[in-house]
Amino acid sequence: MYITYTLVMATFTMPEKITTDPQSMLWLLPLVAAIAIVYKATKLPEIKIFNFVKESVILFGSIVVFMFVTALVLYSIAWLVIE
Amino acid sequence: MTKSRPKENHTIFLLTVLLLAWLIPGAGHLMIKEHKRAFIISVTIILTFCAGLYVGSIGIINPSGAKPWYVAQIMNSPIVAALGYLAKTGDYAVFGKPNEIGQIYTSIAGLLNLLCIVNAVYLAHLCKIETAGDSKCT
Repeated sequence: MYITYTLVMATFTMPEKITTDPQSMLWLLPLVAAIAIVYKATKLPEIKIFNFVKESVILFGSIVVFMFVTALVLYSIAWLVIE
Repeated sequence: MTKSRPKENHTIFLLTVLLLAWLIPGAGHLMIKEHKRAFIISVTIILTFCAGLYVGSIGIINPSGAKPWYVAQIMNSPIVAALGYLAKTGDYAVFGKPNEIGQIYTSIAGLLNLLCIVNAVYLAHLCKIETAGDSKCT
């Protein structure tokens, strides 16, 4: 029991190793999912599972697509400035 | 059925909802009998906060060195203050990407909880208006 407790606590006292490669951008996805879920939980007049999941997925997709488009536009501007 | 609650009682009720929603994410909605909302909010916010702590360790809660982040983090729950006190010893130093991602996760969780606190108080207030103090919400 003590060992389990120590192991669980240890995971919260040592930082994970995260590199600064493009894949680290994927850490964005769980956060966007959390934002979409909580936002829809507060905004929907009634929580029905199918409708709730549908609305959350739509919001999640919208945020990701918007961020992707924004990244593309910024990349294009940077490319135009450099070239 | 239409028994009206005295104004002071209603204010105390709203303050209780506010305090509960801050103490435990989702508890405010639970008090106004929005069980599904309470469950979704509670699980999502606690998981997001714990994910941030897992990535960056409790060192990401830094009341003196990262005050703006701390303000957002403490919206999660007063427990964050205790974690901040623990982390103040300097034994859990964290830098770079884990620090950045951990702070973003825990702060966003805190701001989402602030949204839920406001929503819980608003719903509790609406209950009073719509049901004129009926026992639906209390």
